[in-house]
Amino acid sequence: MNLAAESPSSSCSSGSTDDFAAFLENEIEAQIEEEEIEEEHIEEEDDDEIEIEIAEHSNKRRKVMDDESTDEESPLNTVDLANGQISNGGNVVCAHPIIIRNLCSHCGEFVEEAGSSVAFNYIHKDLRLGASEIEKLRKEDLKHLLKDKKLILVLDLDHTLINSSRMIDIIPDEQYLIKQVEEGKETDDPNQTLFQLGRYHMLTKLRPFVRTFLKEAKNMFEMYIYTMGERAYAMEIAKLLDPGDVYFPSKVICQSDCTTRNQKGLDVVLGADNLVIILDDTEHVWHKHKENLILMERYHYFASSVRQFSSGIKSLSEMKKDERESDGILATILSVLKRAHEMFFDPKIGIDLSSRDVRQILKLIRQDILEGCNIVFSRVFPSTVRAEEQPIWKLAEQLGATCLDDVDDSVTHVVAVVPNTQKAEWARDNNKFLVTPRWIEAANYLWQRQKEEDFAVPKKVDK
Amino acid sequence: MFFHIVLERKIQLHPRYFGPHLRDKLVAKLMKEVEGTCSGRHGFVVAITGVEDIGKGLIREGTGFVTFPVKYQCVVFRPFKGEILEAVVTMVNKMGFFAEAGPVQIFVSNHLIPDDMEYQAGDMPNYTTSDGSVKIQKDCEVRLKIMGTRVDATEIFCIGTIKDDFLGVISDPSAAS
Repeated sequence: MNLAAESPSSSCSSGSTDDFAAFLENEIEAQIEEEEIEEEHIEEEDDDEIEIEIAEHSNKRRKVMDDESTDEESPLNTVDLANGQISNGGNVVCAHPIIIRNLCSHCGEFVEEAGSSVAFNYIHKDLRLGASEIEKLRKEDLKHLLKDKKLILVLDLDHTLINSSRMIDIIPDEQYLIKQVEEGKETDDPNQTLFQLGRYHMLTKLRPFVRTFLKEAKNMFEMYIYTMGERAYAMEIAKLLDPGDVYFPSKVICQSDCTTRNQKGLDVVLGADNLVIILDDTEHVWHKHKENLILMERYHYFASSVRQFSSGIKSLSEMKKDERESDGILATILSVLKRAHEMFFDPKIGIDLSSRDVRQILKLIRQDILEGCNIVFSRVFPSTVRAEEQPIWKLAEQLGATCLDDVDDSVTHVVAVVPNTQKAEWARDNNKFLVTPRWIEAANYLWQRQKEEDFAVPKKVDK
Repeated sequence: MFFHIVLERKIQLHPRYFGPHLRDKLVAKLMKEVEGTCSGRHGFVVAITGVEDIGKGLIREGTGFVTFPVKYQCVVFRPFKGEILEAVVTMVNKMGFFAEAGPVQIFVSNHLIPDDMEYQAGDMPNYTTSDGSVKIQKDCEVRLKIMGTRVDATEIFCIGTIKDDFLGVISDPSAAS
């Protein structure tokens, strides 16, 4: 082999020397040329003729190179094996449905980035799928899921299923946790919920009930993890939650997979939109898919986590408490999910399965919560703004309540912050419920109408 | 395809090795540097079979290192477009399957798998014909044809097909008989 004949196209991937037949031809010629040169070198060292011949040979070599570089790639179906030739420029244009490491898996050509393809690095490194392929996969997925009676569940990690804190952020009151983790490492308790992520010097606490939640959800849903953290962190947490790799095999989506910055999207989830339920504690990242979202109450175990969102409240670790397993957030959400799943696959509804939409079902369930309540707001928002645009008004309406501007006989609840407004007095006089806005928020998080007594506006305000 | 070729490389040697076993140390360093590597033109160097010639060493200015041009014979492995290979399936997913033939990884997409084979999900995902006679799953041996190659600094990646005649499963590890 002649190293000097390093062809210019050898640096590119499926370049010209790829074709075996042409390669062999080239090599045999080069071999013959070499032998001839060697013979001449031995016989006639200083002959001028050699130079001319060498020049000729190198021309020949270059010519062969040029021939090779114009030889074009062609898709499989225009290869004419009978003639031993590969026809140039096939009639069929490949749509490059699956591109892996910049090679189209259909025609074997090198494909540049761009185009209508979306990167799916969480399935396999450097995998891109064309739009038509994504559609096809979504449809197939739909068929399989409906056959297995499963929907899709997209789970967020931080503050939803777990809570993490860096070691350096641990306050003195939480030092006992570090001791706990050390002891935990010795034993090997299957119910251990506090872990240390060695590589990151972080402590992670699993939300109570999360293991049971995942086990039960697996029967009803195909699950994905979608987090704004980094891939390495996400994979570590996935290993903690799913040591057997049964819940999320190749389904961990992280920040680098997002197509829009700071926004999560369902375009990287290979499933139909009308089957997806999202569990997340942050609303603004799911701009495009608000209707699929179930907002979760944030899980603040560590002090550093609480400080990020608001000050003054003590974290669960400081109070040495934890959410109860039996009626914690995850247990509540699980029952809501079970209900949604039941309603979706209810055989009594006439509509065809594939045209059902889980978003409609979530809407229906939500509207049941505060069904029959007529609400009036008092000094919750300034009277100069449009009441109907206020988030709390909209939230109450989503939950099935009717919001009114002024008091009348049909009103059942008055929502106020202080007890001495006109509407508040009216409520007390007419025996109506007087509650804080937290009552509506609690109904949203807990998917149940809460006892009004727990959210009563305090009687006296000290001046 | 395997080739037995002569390659040349310049090996740098530290003065501490200049002693009676200089040649052995040089050959050892060559093996460490070259075996297992990959280049675009020649493919993977599988093993060095012999050293043909070691030229005169040139002392580098500034440092005491000496550069020897070494000509050696080695076995290289390079996949080509159009070549037929046998490979072992390592992973199956709904987009196709991955197989390995030695150091080279090959991806066969579902478009290039015969239409009568369907993807079955499960804890052992596989592609099966409608009558269940042929199954492609992890650790199966398949014969495939290379459609395209891509050469990186450290490895070669290929696209393959099994849609042609005489391609497909050779042996199935889970077959009872």
